[in-house]
Amino acid sequence: MKILVCIKQVPDMESKFKIDERGTWYAKTDLAWRMNEYDEYAVEQAVQLKEQVKEGDITVLCIGSDQVKETMKKALAMGCDRGAHILDEDVSTKEPYMIAGVIAEYARDKGFDLIFTGMQSQDRGSGQVGLLVGEMLGISGVSTVVEFSYADGMVEAKRELEGGVKACLKVATPVVITCQLGLNTPRYPTLPNIMKAKKKELLTTNIAELLKVDARQETLKMYFPEKKGGGQVLEGDAADLADQLIKILKDKTGVLA
Amino acid sequence: MIFEHTEEQSLLREMVREFAEKEVLPSARERDENEYFDRALMFDRLAELGLTGIVFPEKYGGAGADYISYAIAVEELSRVCASTGVTLSAHLSLGSNPVYLFGNEQQKEKFLIPLALGEKMGAFGLTETSAGSDAGGTKTTAVRDGDGWRVNGSKIFITNAGEADTYIVFARTDKQAEKHHGISAFIIEKGSPGFSFGKKEQKMGIRSSPTMEIVFENCIIPAENLLGEEGQGFKVAMKTLDGGRIGIAAQALGIAQGALDAAVSYAKERKQFDKPICSFQGVQFQLADMATQIEAARLLIYNAGYRASRGLGYSQQSAMAKLMASETAMKVTTQAVQILGGYGYTRDFPVERMMRDAKITEIYEGTSEVQRLVIGSSLTR
Repeated sequence: MKILVCIKQVPDMESKFKIDERGTWYAKTDLAWRMNEYDEYAVEQAVQLKEQVKEGDITVLCIGSDQVKETMKKALAMGCDRGAHILDEDVSTKEPYMIAGVIAEYARDKGFDLIFTGMQSQDRGSGQVGLLVGEMLGISGVSTVVEFSYADGMVEAKRELEGGVKACLKVATPVVITCQLGLNTPRYPTLPNIMKAKKKELLTTNIAELLKVDARQETLKMYFPEKKGGGQVLEGDAADLADQLIKILKDKTGVLA
Repeated sequence: MIFEHTEEQSLLREMVREFAEKEVLPSARERDENEYFDRALMFDRLAELGLTGIVFPEKYGGAGADYISYAIAVEELSRVCASTGVTLSAHLSLGSNPVYLFGNEQQKEKFLIPLALGEKMGAFGLTETSAGSDAGGTKTTAVRDGDGWRVNGSKIFITNAGEADTYIVFARTDKQAEKHHGISAFIIEKGSPGFSFGKKEQKMGIRSSPTMEIVFENCIIPAENLLGEEGQGFKVAMKTLDGGRIGIAAQALGIAQGALDAAVSYAKERKQFDKPICSFQGVQFQLADMATQIEAARLLIYNAGYRASRGLGYSQQSAMAKLMASETAMKVTTQAVQILGGYGYTRDFPVERMMRDAKITEIYEGTSEVQRLVIGSSLTR
């Protein structure tokens, strides 16, 4: 079984973000970097699937500067077999259609049975890339997956929809799966596996060799929302406070009718 | 000299920090209050993550990583729970490393591999009522008895005691020899006839780490459990403690970093005179001093770790690292309590625990005074 996992390196979400000089993305200085959380579920599911079927080869793919190799090493330490690094010093300027185009170009003719990726990235959050890859390759795509099982070339998946509704479906491979919170608990990369990861194959390809599509959208502006006023502090004794709170909940929310 | 982490070291720090925050931190306060050692969490999980044999070669069950990686792991654990940090440090530096450094192949096969894999836990018994900083004052004896040795005496303040499976124990084998020359090192297994545990210490800090007396009453051990050569025990102890200092320095560093993180976070939130207290220069200067001392200690530790991993002499450097880190931990945690004020003095915030935990780092595995002796004698010999 051949499996592809597509991951992205994103800033730690507890970082203090600033808008960059172009005004269309965040500045990359003074940030700590890590694997996109949803992609960790993707890596974990791929490794669990390989453990289940007891044979297989997992390629982890990541687009970005040399800095992303550290995040790729984590995926290799978690159990991926080889790395495909697509070198791009300015990946933040590539919109989702271009990213999907690069991944599809890489995956075409390689015969992947399954492609796992996060349902969205924590920084751009478009949620488009996984399904676009499926579309470009002409294979099925299932998004926001919270349960996954595989047997005899068929995937059964549970999807999470709005309002807590779930949908179960069955789909034949090859298929793209985008992974949602709750699918699994990603394993820690153990120290011996971290040490072994440095011996695994990690090949770099320049993005120019794989980028065959043009941008379809452009980010015009990125900005912080205006600061709103602080919270409202209620004063008085307990009975007064309760009355005031009930009035607010009635007037300003739908919590109390 | 510039220290830049390798990718492996960065990944290790990320992994241990995530594990420490998600799994070790939630029970740290409760374990401290109840003086409870949770072996499944504080040792078995470390084994699963491959941390119990960090610095040993793969053929002996280790991860084949370096001493800087070891320091990173102990630091990150100690940042949230100093008891978990010292459990690893005592197991690895004191309970396992002597077997790696001085053991023969059979001893490495039998004892080091299960220790490195974390199937067994290690401990180290040097201190006695009359022998602490002065290891030459060892009164515990070992005399030949048939094919083996008969050990009598007791050791106090033994970290991991009761829980550990093997103990590196120092005993006098030649009463006629000069103080330091008549001591030998032995590997003694829990369950050996005549080996028992005395009282469990009730401590000021690192309360979730067990500290007990170990007692030998006509304890019979096989001849092959002599570690290194007969009479070489003082050398075994001193070489072991060189490495141990890196572990305790890293523990102190982690405690200090945890206290600084708590102080910075509190200073940003706490408002007095309508401003967060971090906006006052008096508080900023304190935080600046704390961070600077921590960074200096960190670089001394990495320097000692760098030298240890490359087979360079590091006795003086590890003494400097331990002295600096432990005194920094005491200062920084005391300042952190001060910055948190009344809240810092309560058990609702972790800094009082960190302050209690920090004190022992100035005492065990060589007091600050002994570190100064080591450094001073290397300057003047």
